[in-house]
Amino acid sequence: MPRDPKHDILFEPIKIGPKTMKNRFYQIPHCNGYGSEKPFNQAYFRAMKAEGGYGAVCTEYCSISPESDDTHRISARLWDDDDVKNLGLMCDMVHEQGALTAAELWYGGPHAPCMESRAVPRGPSQIPSDFEHLTYCKEMDKDDIRAVQKMYVDAAKRARRAGFDIVYVYGSHSYLPQQFLTPYYNKRTDEYGGSIENRARFWRETIEQVKEAVGDDTAIAVRMSTDMFMGEAGTQLERDCLPFVELVDELVDVWDINVSGISEWGEDATPSRFYPAGRLLPWQAAVKAVSKKPVLGVGRFTNPDMMADAIRAGQLDIIATCRPSIADPFLPMKIDEGRLDDIRECIGCNVCISRWEIGGPPIICTQNATAGEEYRRGWHPEKFTHAENSDNDVLIVGAGPAGMECAMVLGKRGMRRVHLVEAEAELGGGMRWIPQLPGLGEWARVVNYRKIQLDKLKNVEVISGTRLDAKGIAEYGAEIVIVATGSYWATNGLNGCTHDTVPGADAALPYCLTPEQIMDEGKPVPGSRVVIVDNDGYFMGISLAERLALEGKKVTLMTHLGHVAPYMHFTLEAPNQHRKLHKLGIETVTYHQPSRIEEGRLVATHVYDEEGHERSFDADAVVLVTQRRSNEALFRQLKDETGLDALRAEGVEALYRVGDCVAPRLIADAVFDGHRLAREIDSDDPETPLPFKRERHVVSAAV
Amino acid sequence: MSVLVVAEHLRGKLRDVTRELVTAAGELPGPVAVAVIAKDPAAFDVRLAGVDEIVHVAVDCEEFESDVYRAALEALIRERRPGVTLLGFTVNSMGYAPAVAAKLGLGFASDVHGLAQSGDAVVATRSFYGAKVQAEVDFPGREQVVLLLRPTVWPQAENGGGASTTSLPVPAGASRARHRSFEEQPPGDVDITTADFLLSVGRGVEDKDSLPELAALAEKMGAVLSVSRPLVDAGWMPSARQVGQSGKTVKPKVYLALGISGAVQHLAGMKTSGTIIAVNTDPEAAIFGTAHYGAVADLFDVAEELDKLY
Amino acid sequence: MKVVVCVKQVAALGDEVEFTADGRDVDPDFLEHALNEWDAYSTEAALRIREALGSGEVVAVTVGGGKTEAVLRRCLAMGADRGVRIESPAADPFAIARALASVVERERPELVLCGVQSSDSVQAATGAALAGLLDLPCVAVVTKVDVGGDGRGSAHRELEGGLLDVVDFDLPAVLTIQTGINEPRYATLRAIKQAEQQEIEVLSCPAGEPAYSVRRMFVPVRGEGAEMLSGSPAQIAARIAEIVNERLA
Repeated sequence: MPRDPKHDILFEPIKIGPKTMKNRFYQIPHCNGYGSEKPFNQAYFRAMKAEGGYGAVCTEYCSISPESDDTHRISARLWDDDDVKNLGLMCDMVHEQGALTAAELWYGGPHAPCMESRAVPRGPSQIPSDFEHLTYCKEMDKDDIRAVQKMYVDAAKRARRAGFDIVYVYGSHSYLPQQFLTPYYNKRTDEYGGSIENRARFWRETIEQVKEAVGDDTAIAVRMSTDMFMGEAGTQLERDCLPFVELVDELVDVWDINVSGISEWGEDATPSRFYPAGRLLPWQAAVKAVSKKPVLGVGRFTNPDMMADAIRAGQLDIIATCRPSIADPFLPMKIDEGRLDDIRECIGCNVCISRWEIGGPPIICTQNATAGEEYRRGWHPEKFTHAENSDNDVLIVGAGPAGMECAMVLGKRGMRRVHLVEAEAELGGGMRWIPQLPGLGEWARVVNYRKIQLDKLKNVEVISGTRLDAKGIAEYGAEIVIVATGSYWATNGLNGCTHDTVPGADAALPYCLTPEQIMDEGKPVPGSRVVIVDNDGYFMGISLAERLALEGKKVTLMTHLGHVAPYMHFTLEAPNQHRKLHKLGIETVTYHQPSRIEEGRLVATHVYDEEGHERSFDADAVVLVTQRRSNEALFRQLKDETGLDALRAEGVEALYRVGDCVAPRLIADAVFDGHRLAREIDSDDPETPLPFKRERHVVSAAV
Repeated sequence: MSVLVVAEHLRGKLRDVTRELVTAAGELPGPVAVAVIAKDPAAFDVRLAGVDEIVHVAVDCEEFESDVYRAALEALIRERRPGVTLLGFTVNSMGYAPAVAAKLGLGFASDVHGLAQSGDAVVATRSFYGAKVQAEVDFPGREQVVLLLRPTVWPQAENGGGASTTSLPVPAGASRARHRSFEEQPPGDVDITTADFLLSVGRGVEDKDSLPELAALAEKMGAVLSVSRPLVDAGWMPSARQVGQSGKTVKPKVYLALGISGAVQHLAGMKTSGTIIAVNTDPEAAIFGTAHYGAVADLFDVAEELDKLY
Repeated sequence: MKVVVCVKQVAALGDEVEFTADGRDVDPDFLEHALNEWDAYSTEAALRIREALGSGEVVAVTVGGGKTEAVLRRCLAMGADRGVRIESPAADPFAIARALASVVERERPELVLCGVQSSDSVQAATGAALAGLLDLPCVAVVTKVDVGGDGRGSAHRELEGGLLDVVDFDLPAVLTIQTGINEPRYATLRAIKQAEQQEIEVLSCPAGEPAYSVRRMFVPVRGEGAEMLSGSPAQIAARIAEIVNERLA
C-alpha cells in the first residue's frame, strides 16, 4: 500500500551537525539491561530498530567513568578501549542498516551508588541523592570539575572511535550537568553556582570541550529537562532552560527535550494511565521557538498523524520514541508502507521500564514478546520460519493474551489450520475487562492488535462464544491442543502471606467479591464501606479502589506489605496513583493481614505484632485481591482423566498449555509464553523452552 | 423504444424511488410509461413530469405479493414490449423482477447507479467487488432489458405532465407467497450492523458525561448510537457499539460521525456506508477524505442545533 | 424434507487492484476467495430446518471451477449432507441460475435457499431468477423462517427501515436469506477434515447467454473528498438534517 502523503514529512532527511539522518524517526536513549558487557544482545537489540527503519539509534545512558556506576541498574560504559570494541559492534550493525548511532554520555553524580566500582561520585554540592537515598557525593572543587570534564572529553573520543555519529552531553533526569543547572542540587557560591549564567557554566564548558574534541565530524546532542516541576528549587522553563538554550544553541547540533527530574520521572516517561501521547509537546515547542537547531523528543508517539502534525506545527523536528520502538521496532517501515493497522502500539504500561527500575533484568514488553530476545533467542518481530511440523491442525482453547499470541504466531509460521476457540462472546480473556479499570483504556491495544492480525491470517479461524469441554476438545480433530484458559482471583482469601485461606472469605456471599465478579459479572458491591484486601502488590487492588471510590464508596485499601501496590513504583505510576488515593479519600492500611471476615466487618492483625492484637474494620463489602489461581481444571481433566493415550487415540498427538493457566504472571509473560511455544512448536520437546544464549565468560580447557 | 417504470408503494403511500425512476427514465430515449400494480391503482398519483402514460394494473392484493407482481410484470412486458423496464433496487423488486427477466430471457442488471446511451443500446454503470471498482455493462443481443436502479441517486421528478391513463387487465392467478401482516422490529440487543442510520461519536467527546445527551439526540433522530474505539477502550461504551477493524463493520444508509478523526482502523469499519457525514473541528481530519459531506465545526454546537430540529 | 442451498465462492479485492488485459475484469491475482457471507447464514438456516424436523437432507450446490469446491466443503463441514458442483463459466446471475436450475430440477427439493446477494456482484438476483426459471414462488430477504411438514411455511421479510413483512408461502419455494437470521455454526477441525474426504458430484452445464456484458471495468475517480458544508452550526445542522431525511426515505 502506498504511504499516506500526509506522512511524507516524516521521511524527509535532516541534518544534525555534520551528519544527515535519513528520516525523522529517532530511537531515543533508553535502557535494555545489556550495557557494554553484553555487546551482542545490545547490538542485535539496537540493530533491529535500524532494520525497522529508524534513522538514528541510541545507546542507553553511557557511563563515562567508574565513578558513574549505577549498579544494580545496568548502563552502557565507555571506560576503556574494550568498551569501544563492544559498543563498536552496535555501531557496525546499525550502520549496516543505514541509520546513525548516538552515545548518551552520562555522569550520574550523587545518583550513582557505585555498588560495583566502589568509587565515589562527584557532584556540585554534597547531597544525599533523592533517588538513591544512601548515596552521597563528593563536593567538586575546581580540580574535580576539570577532571570530570576531561572524562566527558575522553569518553567522547572513545565514542567516536567506536563509530558513534552523535555524542550526548546528557543532563535530563537530574544527572550531573542538570544538577549544576538546578538550585535543588547546586548550592555553590563560586562561579559555578548562583546566577543562571553560573549554574549553566559547567554544562556550557563541557559542551565546548566535547565539541572541540570531536565536533568536527561528530554531532553534539544535549538532553535537558526543561522543567522539573519543583517550583523555584528545580529547573524552570523560563528562568533556566530557555536562557540556557539561547546561551549554548550555537554549540549544539540537536536538542533532546524532556521534563521532570529523576525521582518522579514518570512525568516524562508517562504511563498511559495518567497521560495521553504527546504530553511533552508544549515544552518541546517552547525550546523549538528559541533554538535555531533541530529539536527532538519523546511523547509515547504511535500515531503517524500526530507525529506529522507535531513537525508541521513547529513543535518538533524529529520524532523520538522509546517505548513505541520497543513495542514495534518496525513502526517507521509500517508507516512508510501504509500498513498502519500492522503497527503494534505501545500501551504505556511501563513494564519495560519496571525491569530497569528493579535493576538487573533484561528488557521485556507486554506488546512485543521479541523485545530482548533478538540475540539470545534469535527472534525477529516480523519474521517467522515456516514450522517443520506445519502439516498439523492446532486447537487453542482460550483467546486471552497467551492464546491470541500463540494463534497469531502459529498462523504466521504456516500451521495448516489453527482454530482459536473462546468461551466468551468477546476475545481477550482477562483483557476484556482489565482495560475498563480507570486509566487503563490503552491496554486494550493488546487485544485490538491481535484481533486485527488474526483476522488477516487465512489459516487461523477464531470462534467465539463457544465453550469446549474435555470431550469436545478430544474430539475436535486437532493434532495439537494448546490450553490457554487463564487464571482467576481466589474466592476464599487464599494469599501469598499466610498461604492459607481467610476464615469467612467466600465470594459466594453477597458481601465478598473478587475483581472478576465486580468488573466482568457485574456483581453489585453492597453498602458504602468497602475494604479491599490486596496481597497482590500490582495494579488490581489500587485500580479497584480508585474505581469504587469514584462510584462514591468509602474505600479502605489494606495490604500485608509495607507499601500498597509496590510494583507500581517500578512502573513509575506510584506517585500519581498515590495522589489519586489521597484525593479520593481512600484510606490505606499497610502491614495488616485479615484474620477473619464477618458480615459487616473485617478483622485484621498487624503482621509484626507478635501478640496479634485484632483491629476491626467496618466493611459492607470486602474485595478479595489476595492471589490468583490458574484455571487448570480443563488441562488437568485432559491430562489426568482423559489421559494422553486416549487423546492419541482421537488423533491428538500433543497437549500443551500457555499463559496464566500454567502460573499466573504479568500480561507480558502470558504473551511471551504463547509466543515461545509457537516459535518452538517444531522443536523436539516444545513444552521445554530451548536454551537461550548467555553472554558470559566460559573457562577454556587449555589455560 | 419505450421505457416502462414500475411504481412502488407501501402501506398506501407511493415510495420516493418511483419519482427517481421517472427522472432516470427521462435520460433514455422514447416515451415513458409508469405502471402501478395495486389493488386500487388510481389511489397512487403518478402524474409526474416526463411521464407520457400511466398504466393501471389492478390486482387482488393490497400489499406486495411476489407471484402476483411477477404475473403483472410479465403481462406488462409481453403486452407493451418496452425496450427498458426500470424498477427500484428494493427488497420487493428483488423478489420478482429477476424472476420475470430470467424467464423471458431479457437483459438484466441491478444496483445500477448510472445510465447512458450507446447508439440504440442502453449502457448501465454499477459497482463490483464491494464497491471498489465500477463497470459499464451493456446487453448485446437483447432487445429488452430490465434494470433495478439504486435509490437516492437520481433526483425525484416533480409533479406535472399530462399523462394519459390506461388499464391492463391481468387474470387472477395463484399467489403462493401471501402477505399476512406487517410487524415492527422488536427492540432487541443493540446490533449496530443492521441499523440504517448510525450516529457515531469519537474522541471529540472528551467527557463521558456528554454521552447521554448524544444518545438522546440519536434516539430523536432515529439513529442508533455507535462509537469509535477510544470510547470503548475508556470503558464508556460496550464493544457491541464499536465501529472499526477490531469492532464491527457497518454499512448503514447514513453514517453521521461526530468528533471522529478517521483512523485507518475506524474507516475500515464504515467506509462503504451509503452516505457519510462527518463533523470535526480539525479541517485536516482523515475522515473528510472518506466522507461524502463534512463540516469543520464543534460537534456539540452542531448537536445542539440538530436537537432543536428533531 | 430436502433443502438445496445454493452457495457462491465470492472474490474480494484488497487495497490494490489491476485489471485484465481487456479491461473487463480485475486481474485474478488481486482477488481473494471465500464463501459468500450470506451463504453461511442460508446453510445454517437449512441445517436448523433439518434439525427442527428431525430428518431431511441438505444439499449444497455451487457453480464454478474446481477451486469453488472449497465453499462446498465448508458447507459439508458445517453439516450439509451432499455437495454438488456445476462446472460452468457462468458469471452472471441468470447464467448461474440456469445452471442451478438443472440441479434443482433433478433434486426436487421442498425448499431452495439462496443468499440475498453475493458480496462481489451484489445483483441480488440469482435466487429470484432461479424461481422464475422453475416457476417456483420466491420469498426474498428472509430474516425468519418456519417450515412445517405440511407443505407450508411462514417467513419474515425485512423491508427497508426494518419493517417486517410476514408472509405465508407454499412449498416448494425459493427463499433468499438475509444476514443476521441466525448465527452460523462453526465447523470443528474433525468436520473440516471429514469434509475434505467427502466426494463432491461434478456436473457440467454450458453458460448460455449472459444477462449483461461488461464493456469496461475501472476504478472510480475519487472525488475531492467531502463536500464541505459551511455556515453557522445552525445552518450546518439544517443541511445535515436535510441530507439525512433524503437518504433515509
